[in-house]
Amino acid sequence: MNCDELRDSYELYALGIADEPERGEVRAHLERDCSTCVPGVRGARELTTLIGATAPLAEPPARLRKRVLAIAGGQAGPQLKWSRLWAAVAAGALIAAVVFNTRAQHTSEELARVQAESAAQTRELARLNEAFAILNQPDARQVVFGGAAPQPPRGRVFLDRTRGVLLLASNLPPAPAGKIYEMWVIPKGGKPVPAGLFQSAADGTALHVRPGPVNVAGTAAVAVTLEVAAGATVPNLPPVFAAAL
Amino acid sequence: MLLPLLLAIEFGESDADLVRRLQRRDPRAMAELYDRYGRLVYALIVRVVRDGGIAEDLVQETFLRVWNRVQGFDAERGGLGPWLLAVARNRAIDYLRSAAGRMRNAVELPETEHPALFADMEKELLNSDRVRRVRVALEKLSQNHRAVIELAYFEGLSQAEMAERMGEPLGTVKTWVRTALKSLRDELGTAVTA
Repeated sequence: MNCDELRDSYELYALGIADEPERGEVRAHLERDCSTCVPGVRGARELTTLIGATAPLAEPPARLRKRVLAIAGGQAGPQLKWSRLWAAVAAGALIAAVVFNTRAQHTSEELARVQAESAAQTRELARLNEAFAILNQPDARQVVFGGAAPQPPRGRVFLDRTRGVLLLASNLPPAPAGKIYEMWVIPKGGKPVPAGLFQSAADGTALHVRPGPVNVAGTAAVAVTLEVAAGATVPNLPPVFAAAL
Repeated sequence: MLLPLLLAIEFGESDADLVRRLQRRDPRAMAELYDRYGRLVYALIVRVVRDGGIAEDLVQETFLRVWNRVQGFDAERGGLGPWLLAVARNRAIDYLRSAAGRMRNAVELPETEHPALFADMEKELLNSDRVRRVRVALEKLSQNHRAVIELAYFEGLSQAEMAERMGEPLGTVKTWVRTALKSLRDELGTAVTA
């Protein structure tokens, strides 16, 4: 596609909602530093930035500043209207800190890394809580798949009308580079509905949750396909496995 | 040696100067980056995840990512604030997706963070006249037009996901998106061109 044809897609691309083939075409133009599309997307990004800046004001807690400064190993105080003298004193202290606090900086960077990892673990814990919430529902529907198949993978799918869908699988090799597993909830007489992307662990196990209400009685099957890393809106390949209800 | 700092304090330095100091791993530069954009980043992330505690974690992740990637940032070509906001939005949307087990959006998030694709913008975004104009323009949009912009930007939904969420045909949603974007663009006049 030429640049004129892509002009209307710049803002969709900047918002992250451009569809194929426009998305791929814009990306290709950007990758070759297209003199029309690069400034076009940059202009579109101005609009998306301004939309982001319309978020209602919210005052961050004071402790957050310290957490962020820990990333750089700094402990700078809040910005004040200092006199030149104070500025000079602070600047001198800053220079001294840069020279002498290398070790402290490394420690703070490590602290920031650990905090970021901790945040990731918190999110993983939330995912596991969602999984247990589904498992704990007395009315959750359980479906076993792969048991009679000559080849793995095998596992179970749990569906609860209020909590969502939980997939537990084993013998599922990690998706190859550039690919990812995608779960689908297939309604009776309907088209597959995307239910999230996931990757299996190195030992071949996988746990995936699609939280939120699901029409269990109206569901014909839950299936998993291998898709490109960005995921797909419709399945592109036959299912790796399917659990029929 | 103190003169640049004094001048910076007295007159305020540009984003390009701030980027160069971040690249030199100047801790004070991180403080200035936070003081300049921290409230905006926090406000954006709170708007997306609607939880102050989670937002704090994501703000820290955002600044950590910028600190780790700033060496690749061309201060002469890219806008620091817009890049930071894009990283913040992506961290928040990523969180929403992982929390909800949702499919990813049409565009891979790291792809949207390429620093060279951010024009330099006014430093005082919070007080920017253009932000006020966009806010007014958003309020003037019809309910459906405003909804699709907010679902796309603040919730990271694809157009297909928006159609499903709103119970409307995909074609209708696509029309709403394009019309809403045009309205916003018109409201900003020639300042934003696509």
